[in-house]
Amino acid sequence: MDFQDYYKILSVAPDADSKTIKTAYRKLARKYHPDVSAQSEAEEKFKQISEAYDVLKDPQKRAQYDELREYGAQSHDGSRRQYSQSSSKQNDFSDFFSSIFGDPRRAGHGGFSREGFSHKGFSQDGFANKGQDIETDLPIFLEDTLTNTSKTISYSLPQRHARGGVRNINKTLNVKIPAGVADGERIRLKGQGGQGTGGAPRGDLYLRIRMVPHPLFDVEAHNLIITVPLAPWEAALGTSLEVPTLSGKIKLTIPANSQTGQRLRIKGKGLVRKDGRGDLYALLKVVMPASVSEETKKHWQKLAASAAFDPKMEWRK
Amino acid sequence: MDLNAQYFSFEELCNATQTPSQTIIEIINYGIVEPEGSGPETWLFNTQMISVTKKACRLHRDLEIDWSGIALAISLLEELDQLRDENQRLRNRLKRFFDE
Repeated sequence: MDFQDYYKILSVAPDADSKTIKTAYRKLARKYHPDVSAQSEAEEKFKQISEAYDVLKDPQKRAQYDELREYGAQSHDGSRRQYSQSSSKQNDFSDFFSSIFGDPRRAGHGGFSREGFSHKGFSQDGFANKGQDIETDLPIFLEDTLTNTSKTISYSLPQRHARGGVRNINKTLNVKIPAGVADGERIRLKGQGGQGTGGAPRGDLYLRIRMVPHPLFDVEAHNLIITVPLAPWEAALGTSLEVPTLSGKIKLTIPANSQTGQRLRIKGKGLVRKDGRGDLYALLKVVMPASVSEETKKHWQKLAASAAFDPKMEWRK
Repeated sequence: MDLNAQYFSFEELCNATQTPSQTIIEIINYGIVEPEGSGPETWLFNTQMISVTKKACRLHRDLEIDWSGIALAISLLEELDQLRDENQRLRNRLKRFFDE
């Protein structure tokens, strides 16, 4: 168990007054609140900040902590103190905190925050608390969204033991995913979250749909875009080719004099949405060959000599 | 379970978010969540609204922001999310045209 330097966590001096501590906490809480920050370590940081503030804002707890801090500074072996090891990682407070101030969950202070990362969510009723809600990302392939599918998901769930203490167990569920789900959408599975206390219901499981980027298709609302590379002569003369869609290939005619950036619509081959199916756009991209033979070069030279084409016209306007 | 029809009544929202009804009415009055229907008896909420309600409560509690501040924060956060997503999508599309 690591010693937590609450002053360092809040970036304040050990003799800082309560106003300074409060300001420091507010500033850091705004920065690292998991609902605000996109940083991956924000939640962990926010927990530390909240824990530090929880101790330092309370004169009694602070005095207790200061004493321990001074004591710890003299000797680091930490063996004299019997820390009660808590294996709970779902606990909002660190083992260090629990060892000094007790485990608020077991000590009858009431339930913990339901969201897992706040310290101020103590419930007023004391014992009956709905279980923890779990939120997890569910990666989905574009192909999967065309029809109703089912996915096996597995997530970790805090489980209380008869002897007390909480351990994470892995849970596996089979989930039906409706056709037409979109990135960022949430699916709620009632009662699949953590256990409640005092006869209160279990928490819920929220799945957040995350669309896995596709190697070929880009998504634009309910439309799909596929980039079609063309040889210069294909663009000039037109051609007929097969374009991959999410479900099989489709024939596409490229008209003569096509241009990079031009989009050809393939109706009804986009994503499935409640209000109908989107389209697939073939986005043309004229590509030069990496190297050309002597013979090809001669063709280009002939073309250069005869073609009246000035792509840099705009510069002279 | 029919996931296509994930709609919740006012009472279900209160239970799902473990939030007092008065707080939720406040959240609705500030336009943070906009349910279908004309009043508590007919209100219908979707899963997204559960998430927004929970987020609003967390911000209110953890950062001591008042409801109008939360309304602003949530709409700015949503906009930021959308812009980040869009930026990522456009970057991916650009990559198909340019060598890095």
